[in-house]
Amino acid sequence: MSLRAARRRANRVQGPVAQNSGQRQLMRRNFSQVGRALVRQVRGEALSVLTSLMLVAVTTIALLILDQFFALRHVTLVYLVPVVIAATKLGIGPAVIAAVAGVGASAFFFYPPIYSFLVEDPQHVIELPLFVFVAIVTGHLASSLRRQADLARRRETEVHALYAFPRRLAAAHTPNDIYTAIREHLASIIGRRTILFETAPPGVPGAALSDEGQVPDAVKRAMEALAEAGKGSGNSSVVEDGEGRVWLVRPVSGKAGDFGVLAIDLGQQKGKMADAIRERVDAVLADATAMLEHLDLGRALSDARVRSETEALRDALIGSVSHQLRTPLVSILGAATVISSAPGNRGDPRLASLADILRDEVDRLNNDVQDLLDAALISSKGVRLDCEWVEPADVVNAAVDRRQRLLAGHRLRVDIPDELPFVYVDPVLLEQALGQIVDNAAKYSPPGSQITIGAKIESDAVVLSVRDEGIGLVGEEQTRLWERFFRGQRGASSVSGSGLGLWIAKAFVIANGGQIEAFSEGADRGTLVSIRLPAREPATPDLAVSGDG
Amino acid sequence: MDSATILIIDDELHIRQFLRAAFEFEGFAVHEAHNAEEGIRSATLKPPDLIILDLGLPDRDGSSIVERLRSWSNVPIIVLTVRSREREKVRLLELGADDYVVKPFGIGELIARARSALRPRVVAGNDPVVRVGPLEINLASRSGTIDGKRVVLGPKEYLVLQILAQHAGKVVTRQQIMRQVWGAAHLDDTHYLRIVVRNLRKKIEVDPARPRILLTELGVGYRLAR
Repeated sequence: MSLRAARRRANRVQGPVAQNSGQRQLMRRNFSQVGRALVRQVRGEALSVLTSLMLVAVTTIALLILDQFFALRHVTLVYLVPVVIAATKLGIGPAVIAAVAGVGASAFFFYPPIYSFLVEDPQHVIELPLFVFVAIVTGHLASSLRRQADLARRRETEVHALYAFPRRLAAAHTPNDIYTAIREHLASIIGRRTILFETAPPGVPGAALSDEGQVPDAVKRAMEALAEAGKGSGNSSVVEDGEGRVWLVRPVSGKAGDFGVLAIDLGQQKGKMADAIRERVDAVLADATAMLEHLDLGRALSDARVRSETEALRDALIGSVSHQLRTPLVSILGAATVISSAPGNRGDPRLASLADILRDEVDRLNNDVQDLLDAALISSKGVRLDCEWVEPADVVNAAVDRRQRLLAGHRLRVDIPDELPFVYVDPVLLEQALGQIVDNAAKYSPPGSQITIGAKIESDAVVLSVRDEGIGLVGEEQTRLWERFFRGQRGASSVSGSGLGLWIAKAFVIANGGQIEAFSEGADRGTLVSIRLPAREPATPDLAVSGDG
Repeated sequence: MDSATILIIDDELHIRQFLRAAFEFEGFAVHEAHNAEEGIRSATLKPPDLIILDLGLPDRDGSSIVERLRSWSNVPIIVLTVRSREREKVRLLELGADDYVVKPFGIGELIARARSALRPRVVAGNDPVVRVGPLEINLASRSGTIDGKRVVLGPKEYLVLQILAQHAGKVVTRQQIMRQVWGAAHLDDTHYLRIVVRNLRKKIEVDPARPRILLTELGVGYRLAR
């Protein structure tokens, strides 16, 4: 690009007359930037010319060495090698230079008279121009092959992105997800920073920038202007952001009108390069828009809104179902315990045992309701943590104490050393996870057998473990144990359960940054489940134990 | 027999019925209210000795009821709540509720909590000794004994134990203890408290890993067993 063209371009961007010194300064900065770009380009070209000459030189040296041992004929052909290399790596220009240099070198070094550019043999006189012709054709073919390979590779990434895009759109839950998907898709196929300005759909106030990054004010204004101009207003425009960067701003339209304005950072102005990018952006957007139309973005957006409403509905349902299921349980258990402890009935062991039955069944139902709620929450929202420093023994004791009735038929051993490090976890979720495992141990081991609940430190982890003497794990139970709704066949008929407990336990443990695993030596040889939690000590404060406040 | 008055604020008729029966069997007088407005009105007109408040009333949320009641009354409040709502429990206790019971519950548990809540708060008066099970704490000499044997307590340990003993049988949130022992600036440094509790358990529990006196309410606070 010539300097004059650069100046002309700079003038167009900045306006014909620089009105004040500030603007003049800006102009000067622009010139220097254009200048620097020119220098870079010239330097790049000089470098490729130099490289192609170097290739010829290397070839010549190699030939000269070989010439010492073998009498070489048709050396000119060998110079096709640097020509093809230059054509594929550097482009057609350097290839031509390599061809000419190759002819010169063979004339100078190999064709008599040697060390002169004169050529005596008429056959050689014909050979040399022929070589130049062949070299240029070969070089042209090689470089266009390379261009095509590049293009094919780029197309491949584009096609790949195009396939990934609808998948992302289908998984989007909110309009925001969709806009992010569009923006990232365009950014990835154009290879430039892209900002999508969402035009407000009818009936929805306001519009939002779907990018956290910094947007220059000039660009923002241009985007807003374009967004406000509304449907079909428009064409793309080029905006200079005052920092030497150029942005292409253009609307993105679908069948139902514009759904956004796009700003693409073209980088520093480079005349033809910028035009090329612009053409590419147009091509990509034409594709993308066609696809967005095909995907019916409008419907996708409303679907996303419906989905988020559905989620809200599901939450409300979970809340009300839990209330509906639990409230009768409260009355049943309350009334039963009141009857068994009423003045006339107090001390009647039969009534007490009936109240105990009710209590156990209510506990079981209540736990099942809790499991369903936990499972629904985990699958819809993931696990929400409320972490704090926790004494591991507290978690073990809470899990055991809450299941005292369930564990009454077993010999229980709790094995906790005095000094365990604190763990940073959500204590309630961890207690529920451990409780699920204790439940399982009690359910799948015979009455009177021992259940050992322990805690210990193992390198940099605190390990909570539950060991039973129950039915153990066999075959697929080993691997499928943690799956949702999986229940082992051996206990399924005699033991009640939802198949959710261990799945919930695993979700809670993993959410707390821990690992959970089960080990069994086989059928009827018991199971050992361990929860491994990272141990980190909080900074030990002197304040805790000393001081006289 | 007790002649204290209990006000039950619950929107579920069946729950009110069994609670009324249980407390009347125990010799209490019982008033009922089926929503928050009626409950607050009843508490104003016929001040009860204890309020049992079910959370999740249709007309008002629990914390605003506790706040409203606490603006003019010190009546003990026990809230009925559900599992895995630890933050809510802590907030209600901070607002002035005295204790909570998790639904579904056996009536014995609620009656025990009610009796603890009705017991007047212990202050150093004529008898400066607080007895909790095998534990005795002398508020005057700032010392403690367990099964008659003297326990050497550090100053922070003594303070924590004293606060728990004064609320014996009731849950005390970590923040409540932190505020009194370390001051408001250290409310979030609750691991100080965990270390003190660990040390206390070594001194007063038979098996510190399986405490029977100084109990933890996971995610909420501590309770000294009665």
